[in-house]
Amino acid sequence: MSDLSFELPQEVEETRKRARDFALREFTNELIEHFDETEEYPNEIRKKVFDAGFITIENPWNMLVTMEEFCRVDPGIGLSTLASVFGSEILLLYGTDEQKEKYLYPTLKGEKISAVAVTEPGAGSDVAGISSRIEKTEKGWMLNGHKMFITNGTVADHYYLLARSAPPPSKEKRHHGLTLAIVERRWNGVNPVKLKGKLGMRATDTAEITFENVAVPNENIVGEEGKGFYIIMTFFNISRVYVAAQSVGTAQGILDLLLEYLAEKPASFREMEYVQFALAEISALIEAARNITYKAATKVFSFNPDPALTSMAKYYAAEIANQVANTAFKIVGIEASGSKLEKLYRDAKITEIWEGTSEIEKLVISRMILKKIQEVK
Amino acid sequence: MIEQFAKEELENVAQKIEKEGISKDIRKRLAELGLLAATLPQSENGSGIDRRSFSLVLMTIAKYSASVAYFTYLQNTLVNEILSKAQKRKEEIIKIASGESTGTLVHDLNLNFPQEVYIKGYELYGSNSFVILPDADLHLVLARSESPSYLIMANPVKIEKKKPLGFRAISFGVASYKQTIEEDRIILKDADSLLKSHFFDTSDQIAAIALGMSESAVEKAIEYSKERKAFESYLYEFQPISAVLTDMKGRIEEMKKALMLSEVVQDRILLKLNALELSRLASRVALQIHGGYGYLEDLGVERYYRDSMFLTMLSSNYIKDIKTVSKEIISPDAFKI
Repeated sequence: MSDLSFELPQEVEETRKRARDFALREFTNELIEHFDETEEYPNEIRKKVFDAGFITIENPWNMLVTMEEFCRVDPGIGLSTLASVFGSEILLLYGTDEQKEKYLYPTLKGEKISAVAVTEPGAGSDVAGISSRIEKTEKGWMLNGHKMFITNGTVADHYYLLARSAPPPSKEKRHHGLTLAIVERRWNGVNPVKLKGKLGMRATDTAEITFENVAVPNENIVGEEGKGFYIIMTFFNISRVYVAAQSVGTAQGILDLLLEYLAEKPASFREMEYVQFALAEISALIEAARNITYKAATKVFSFNPDPALTSMAKYYAAEIANQVANTAFKIVGIEASGSKLEKLYRDAKITEIWEGTSEIEKLVISRMILKKIQEVK
Repeated sequence: MIEQFAKEELENVAQKIEKEGISKDIRKRLAELGLLAATLPQSENGSGIDRRSFSLVLMTIAKYSASVAYFTYLQNTLVNEILSKAQKRKEEIIKIASGESTGTLVHDLNLNFPQEVYIKGYELYGSNSFVILPDADLHLVLARSESPSYLIMANPVKIEKKKPLGFRAISFGVASYKQTIEEDRIILKDADSLLKSHFFDTSDQIAAIALGMSESAVEKAIEYSKERKAFESYLYEFQPISAVLTDMKGRIEEMKKALMLSEVVQDRILLKLNALELSRLASRVALQIHGGYGYLEDLGVERYYRDSMFLTMLSSNYIKDIKTVSKEIISPDAFKI
């Protein structure tokens, strides 16, 4: 067995340092509070993120460590800015040259914003249960439906949208007959409404969108008709690694704040073994979450994804982010009130919900593991 | 009677209360029900309710509005009971018991390190950054001096409100003091130790609020699991969801029994810590079952998540609490290193 290297390439470490410096400089406490209070989308910071060259598909590790470092300072602004290219991997892997030219490249240059529209009011984790319909017409396709909790919903220029194009052939094959299409926000019949009053991640734009008799041209169908479920699942395998990195960054940010708090207090406080043990536990959990995230990312970025490992990373890192927040509160107590620690506690919760709830991740993991029993038999 | 009041007058307006605060009308109703001086004897303008019954009252109200439950606890237990201990404060008790005015207790006993409110001679000065209800009419302020500490009736020169994590119907923020105190405004000497023992002694009331919140969060999650379908089945039909909800229900019921049995102060402190932990867990489970909808304030589920942590922060310092009990039940040398 050869030695395992746990070192990231120098270029990636340099990006990490640049991302950390950028976030500390640009995500000021004043701006963090402003976006948390107003729930506005941080568009000016998004532009600066593009200008600084953080959004790139050439080396996905750079995006991953940037996600981690941005969320370490503020998950709301960090995720909002980086997720402005949300869903780009879909076109990168399945888009036609024309689709890439019209939608992907302008998005990667920061000229357009994209979103993924899958979740519906009656179908969150159950992707195959969606009921929006896209039907063939003489000139192209007609879309009718309702999407919910769509990140970038009111600021995106276009959505990568999943809808049913044919009834499922059987109960067991509910995931058949789903088609993916690119739908522009400004088209007739598209009506996004911003959802306000989230617990955390309030700098992110979240919307409910209705689609009423929206005409979709043929050239906007992505991949093969009826195979949209597989495209979306492939995309989730990628996006879940970034959510894991979001969780790792959030947890690390909580540890940073705890260390700042301990540094301000008399040494006698941090000399208490109860405090030291809590610190040790937090640090170990974060390190483990980071390692599983990087392992899953290694598989995904080398085009050899392991869905079970990706789901483990997403589930575990989210669990740790929330656990770390709870432990930090136990030590800091009421002094955390109104602090950034309180904000990270609110922000952390979403990681157990979006891009597949922790329950869905557990199902993916167990199904993959149970497959191995069948293989043995 | 309390269940009827909470259900009819709080349940449907709980979200409105969070946004607009606890109105004079609600204060008046709490006063009419005798809850703002519930545990004081009738001879002191109280209702003479025993402590267990009062815990049940708080638990019942917390099911519908945790903010109103905490406000009731604050007025009855942290202000009026302390005024009663100080004696000869009949006038202030009457005003708070009637809902005509409000009171708050400004202290630093749950902080890791003291805040700087001091008294030197008769000069009171300094500020406390973590005051619940800083706009109250009456402030009972724990002020430190070289020795001993005092509890003083004071008026802040400045307050600065902050948006709290939870109990958003009750204000929260910084109160600053700078005034010369008349002798009759000093109501207790050695206030530090008296307040500590009062907090510990009434820990079961915090447990009651935490249990009421837990019960409500779990009931909401059960209700939702019977409405919401995923993969063509109701959520409650899935084994892990049923299991976690049943487990939560069981733990709440066990703790409710323990609430009625807690005789000694150590039991009450441990009950408080366990009930607070349970409320944080129950709120996390409830939010998780509601998914994305739970993350939005519309359904009132994320409120449990914020309130349970805020109640923990306001009412407990884990290290201090566990240290106190360790020394009592293990050895005076416990929790030393």
